[in-house]
Amino acid sequence: MFKWRSDRKQAEEHKSHSLDVDELKKQLEEELASCSDISFRTIKKDGKKILTSFLSSLIDKSSLDEFILQSLQTNFSKSMTVEEVAQILPIAQLSASNQLKEIVESIIEGSVYIYVEGEPCGLLANVSKTAERSLEKAETEALVYGPKISFTESLPINVNILRSNVKDAKLCFEDIEVSTRVKARIKIVYIKDIADPNNVETFRQRISNLKVDYIPDTTVLGQLIENNSWSVFPQLMTTELPDRISIGLLSGKVAVLMDRSPAALYGPTPFFTFFESTEDIYMRWNMAFFLRMLRLSAIFLSVLLTPAYVSVLTYHYEVIPSPLLVSLGQSRANVPFPPVFEALLLEFIIEMLREAGARLPTKVGQTMGIVGGIVIGQAAVDAGFTSNILIIIIALSALGSFTTPSYLMGTAIRIIRFPIIILAGFWGGIGIMVAFCFFLIHLLKLDSLGRPYLSPAYPLRLSDLGYSMFRYPLEYLSKRPVTNQPVDNDRFPVKKAKQKKDVDE
Amino acid sequence: MKVNLHPRTGLLFNAYLLMFFIHKVQTGVGIVGLPRIVYLDSKHDAWISVFLAGVITGIVIWAMFIMLKQYDSADLYGIQVDMFGKWLGNLLNIIYMVYLSACFFAIFMNYIEIVQVWIFPNLPTWQLSLVLIALSVYAVQGGVRVVVGLAFLAVLGTLWLAAVLIVPMKYADSTHLFPILNVDIKHLIKGMYGSSLSMMGFELLMFFYPFIKDKKNTLLYAQIGNLYTTILFSIVTLVSIMFFAEDSLARTIWPVLSMFKIVRLPNLERFEFIAVSFWMLIIVPNMSAYLWAASKGFSRVINLKQKHGIWFIGILGWALAFFVHTRSQMNAVTDYVAKMGFVLAFCYPVMLSALVFMKKRFMRRKADNAQGS
Repeated sequence: MFKWRSDRKQAEEHKSHSLDVDELKKQLEEELASCSDISFRTIKKDGKKILTSFLSSLIDKSSLDEFILQSLQTNFSKSMTVEEVAQILPIAQLSASNQLKEIVESIIEGSVYIYVEGEPCGLLANVSKTAERSLEKAETEALVYGPKISFTESLPINVNILRSNVKDAKLCFEDIEVSTRVKARIKIVYIKDIADPNNVETFRQRISNLKVDYIPDTTVLGQLIENNSWSVFPQLMTTELPDRISIGLLSGKVAVLMDRSPAALYGPTPFFTFFESTEDIYMRWNMAFFLRMLRLSAIFLSVLLTPAYVSVLTYHYEVIPSPLLVSLGQSRANVPFPPVFEALLLEFIIEMLREAGARLPTKVGQTMGIVGGIVIGQAAVDAGFTSNILIIIIALSALGSFTTPSYLMGTAIRIIRFPIIILAGFWGGIGIMVAFCFFLIHLLKLDSLGRPYLSPAYPLRLSDLGYSMFRYPLEYLSKRPVTNQPVDNDRFPVKKAKQKKDVDE
Repeated sequence: MKVNLHPRTGLLFNAYLLMFFIHKVQTGVGIVGLPRIVYLDSKHDAWISVFLAGVITGIVIWAMFIMLKQYDSADLYGIQVDMFGKWLGNLLNIIYMVYLSACFFAIFMNYIEIVQVWIFPNLPTWQLSLVLIALSVYAVQGGVRVVVGLAFLAVLGTLWLAAVLIVPMKYADSTHLFPILNVDIKHLIKGMYGSSLSMMGFELLMFFYPFIKDKKNTLLYAQIGNLYTTILFSIVTLVSIMFFAEDSLARTIWPVLSMFKIVRLPNLERFEFIAVSFWMLIIVPNMSAYLWAASKGFSRVINLKQKHGIWFIGILGWALAFFVHTRSQMNAVTDYVAKMGFVLAFCYPVMLSALVFMKKRFMRRKADNAQGS
């Protein structure tokens, strides 16, 4: 019985449409769930009918009028076949079909179906027009230096940008089918003789194994295909900067583009990748080195400062030298709460301010600055809510978390602060270390696309340190990062870069 | 049971990590009290005792390597079964599992004792032990790579603690060291025996060996790790002898922490609070390494899953902690583990490796003879 049913299902999938024009109209209307925007236009000539059907909202009207209808009207004769119609249409993307399912899918994507009555099949002509915005500056990843262009929601434009950035014959764009209800157009991008085939295969396999109804954005795709979805740390990175992807591709990473998504997903992206900015590459190495160190220590302070304040004031006040202890005590004299509560309160207010600032329309955005200035200012201290010193510390740690180039990682770092503060309130320094050990083990256990998350720190890859944690002068970066396991290792010949001249030569 | 393990290549780690790993598993709670324990026996020549103990450890590691080299990819569990047969071999294996679990227990109990003495006198043992055990269970569930990686990162993260010793050096009096070698051999050897507890940990090499990628470099890196430990321990002992007056060292139970006490920065005093907290980063990798080795026995010896073994040992350790209340009980436990360790980490492996070596020699000769005739 079941066999018979599956047979019927298969038959339904490969059903050719009716050869009668009126019948075909009905079939199409039925398949498209009676959309109001399906349009038909029938041309009659010498008693023979030609049907053009399309979704009027999806197609470019002028090209339909100019290239399809006009050519049909002027050139049509009674004995015309499909081949001849194909000859007279000045349209690049043209295909023949008589499968109802395929036709409906193409119509949804913006094709026009042209059918000459009595012929065994019709023609699908692509005259789609999609809503898209023009290229703009990157907004979530602000830059001082380097190319400013950012990806848009249109896949063809994104491919265009990448192709013109990386003019390499080996640059591959591979289409991937996802078994979703809403068809998603996804492309895997990599440079064939650089990227590790295993990475490409991992991406390909994980994406094609997906069974979901809808993927709205690459960020969602990233969440769907990463290994540990319980973790607070993102394991794959999305970026809206094409140059970031280009640099990644050339260092052996693999990217994924998706239609209707203004960000590209790429991997493998270990922990430290999230602290790299493209500016680090455009800047001179010593400046970039300094900035990277600044960023990493800012993160460290951001996570540790408030818990340290809490633990020291709750349990270990012996640690503070007496002159400093006096001023600390004075500033806290009016505060009725225990330090944990005080810190959590202030952290919470800062988070609220940040979130409100992000949600508000820009016109009222200024209000946030004023509110923040008053609340997180002298007023809170005068009211006996917090101590002066805590305000400085909270401000520092908020600043520190904003130095992360990746917004996702910045948010992760702000979130992990809360459990650490609570633990510090419980057990002081021991609590902080418990949290620290936990996160260390957690990061060790994570992976990005099957590659260790803490690379190049563990497993230690000294040559990669110049790419991710520190930044070496360019002449020492002759090898591509081992973390990506590139097939072709060399960026440029080492010998030439290291040639040294004698004095006055 | 298979004698050789042959783990899949994705699980292997590079031999150079042994350098960090061996050092990390040796440096645990032992070093905090080491100077005093050795000082009680070998007086102002304690540092020589420590150094000699390190040299002996090096020799034992060499003997272990000779033994492990006879097999492709075997750990001690496999070797003992290969040597002594199923019954006796597995009995010895279970003794080792008990020993490794006891080490696991002793490490976290000692640390909790330090925390209770130095920071939180009223902190219940079961709370901190629960957290510490949970952390190491979490780490061990990640497998051998996480355990080794944790040890590696912990070494990098705690290197700076050694630099803090510069501060007590300012108050050191080098005349405490003289006359050098004034203590007789008997006391020197007693001191060496006293420092064996702190040197322990290297025996884990016999359990982690199958997971090393380039096995031929094992000896080199293990020796470098041990050398660093030896030098560090000797220096710590040396500094303590110079820093403390004769009697006060004998009466200070944790001389290293007491030395940290005098560190004073413009915005920070009483450095030992930070040091004791930070010591957790030294303790957790240690605990997880022992827990890993002990729970590995579950899959090797008893044919259970290792993850069940992890939980079993973890919960058992936590439950046992309720039975230890006083300092004297804790001392007894530590002494007992030290005695076990002296036999199982120092004496027995040397003996076993001699046996393995002879057996393999004998087998080879037999094979040669068979070929010749």
